[in-house]
Amino acid sequence: MRIVFRHRQDQLSLDVHPEAGKYRVVVDGDEHIAEAHYLDDATLLLLVDGRRYRVDIARQGKEHLVAVDGEVYTFAPESAAAAHHVAALASPEVIAPMPGKVLQVLVHAGDHVDTGDGLLILEAMKMENRLLAEAAGSVDEVRVAAGDMVEGGQVLAVLRYDEEAAS
Amino acid sequence: MFAKVLIANRGEIAVRLIRGCHELGVRAVAVYSEADATAPHVLLADEAVCVGPAPSAQSYLDIDRIVDAARHTGADAVHPGYGFLAENAAFARAVEEAGLTFVGPSAEAIAAMGDKVAARRRVAAAGVPVVPAVENVGDSAELAHQVESVGYPLLIKAAAGGGGKGMRIVRVGSELESAFAAARREAQSAFGDGRLFVERYLERPRHVEVQVFADQRGRIVHLGERECSIQRRHQKIIEETPSPALTPELRERMTTAALAAARSVDYANAGTVEFLLDQDGRFYFLEMNTRLQVEHPVTELVTGIDLVHAQLRVAAGERLWLRQEEIVARGHAIECRVYAEDPAHNFLPSPGVVRHLREPDGPGVRVDSGILPGYAVPLHYDPLLAKVSVWAETREAARRRMRNALSNYVTLGCTTSIPFLLDVLDHPAFAGGDTHTHFIEEHFPQWRGREAHRLIAAIAAAIDSTRPTRAATGGETAVAASPWTSLGHWRLGQG
Repeated sequence: MRIVFRHRQDQLSLDVHPEAGKYRVVVDGDEHIAEAHYLDDATLLLLVDGRRYRVDIARQGKEHLVAVDGEVYTFAPESAAAAHHVAALASPEVIAPMPGKVLQVLVHAGDHVDTGDGLLILEAMKMENRLLAEAAGSVDEVRVAAGDMVEGGQVLAVLRYDEEAAS
Repeated sequence: MFAKVLIANRGEIAVRLIRGCHELGVRAVAVYSEADATAPHVLLADEAVCVGPAPSAQSYLDIDRIVDAARHTGADAVHPGYGFLAENAAFARAVEEAGLTFVGPSAEAIAAMGDKVAARRRVAAAGVPVVPAVENVGDSAELAHQVESVGYPLLIKAAAGGGGKGMRIVRVGSELESAFAAARREAQSAFGDGRLFVERYLERPRHVEVQVFADQRGRIVHLGERECSIQRRHQKIIEETPSPALTPELRERMTTAALAAARSVDYANAGTVEFLLDQDGRFYFLEMNTRLQVEHPVTELVTGIDLVHAQLRVAAGERLWLRQEEIVARGHAIECRVYAEDPAHNFLPSPGVVRHLREPDGPGVRVDSGILPGYAVPLHYDPLLAKVSVWAETREAARRRMRNALSNYVTLGCTTSIPFLLDVLDHPAFAGGDTHTHFIEEHFPQWRGREAHRLIAAIAAAIDSTRPTRAATGGETAVAASPWTSLGHWRLGQG
């Protein structure tokens, strides 16, 4: 069975073959032998190539949340994530990370911004958060004004990256 | 002792206070907002009263509704915890006027220390060293001229504030005006008071504070110091005691100054006098927090004194039973604050649903938690989820114990500061005790997190995905991870 995950920018492809209580897992041409013992629904003892790991796991919608030794990973099944990914690249959007109030809009449509330039100041959870341009480009559209209350995930502005930055 | 105490707070501190009440045989009344109806502190209390909708201004900050709740439930005292109304003199007064006891200092002492400008003047008069500063900074037109005597770099602070809100560092004159405007806005919205003052900014100082404790008859002791130099956004994330920087002689001078500061306002109950300690061993009064401190557990661990019990006992009129020479700190304690925030994205708050929670245990490990599995972290409040504190015989043993404890603290569904805390604990400068308040900017300017176990995690997820979906951890939430996922993809353009 082939399982494809997206983790951040990377795509991970795993071939999982259950065999006699164990799993043969092939990743990037390397074969691993894994054994999984569930301690409860969210905690498992995982043996991979003879090494033991205590792994915590949960699902959030379609995503798999996994913790190993203080590190936390979010894996999205490829099909859903791929669509989102392509859309995001074609149209870089400045998205409210959480509900809050727009205190100040620092740019206008048509402005050119450099990496790290401030775009908007959003007040959320009692702190002022400055949303920054992550790449050089121009401001295509500003959809909010100072004083607006916004929802988490709402598109606040739309950028267009310079060509070399988007490549 | 009181029969019933109302806890005017939420989160981990409300849980800790309710436990303290129960241990003394006191019934505890919780208050909660509509967003907190099933929060852990509500579940633990003997009674609970809803005091309003989610925004704290209409619930946890509503003095009338909280005093009414205390009156209606027949509480004879109110404990404010920290934050919210804990340092609000009008609240302390309203509680007393309702015929109830405020567990804390007098309204006068709160007011005297709450005005940072007046407090500075008062403790300076009592012989406590203070940093060069200008009070009551006015309009932007005169600004540059007014701050000349302080010099750059300088720090803008809210006269009414604390906790990093309304604070700005200015290194060059050209940044002064915009920093000033932002600080004023933040101070106005956080404290309803936009007054600011400006002081000299010390390079690489340590934050060292002294716990004081007094009864209502002026008997006062100190419980040693805490060092809280590891801060992000001017807020502490790791605290420890004793401070690696203090010699017995310096400790003697700092604790003496702290007691003088507390006496200058006839202080009663638990309080903390904060100092900055510079590279040359000079210390300066920062402010006095007239309440129980977030990081009080480390003091409890080394002294063996339960500060919440002590607070309730002196508030109930008991004479101070602690004698200075009998208060002895043993071993070393460290606390780490676990926040719902994303250390890889400038520590932005990162609310979500706790899909899975596993807390550390073992000898010398204490967890003060405000969350439970399935708990949705509300957007309206401070994102502190829990505090992990450890005690061990030496600093190095405590550091290793904390490392171990945090690696065994798992939350899924809600990004936390734990991976970052682990990297700080592992840093040679931290291990060597070379800590200062700019530690994070200096050593972790662009932290992105370790991903040493991605293959293992992916194998676990792949195997898990071959199992049927489990109802218990399924379901979607609007806020959980999706905004960050979007932001993450948007970052791709960096190329």
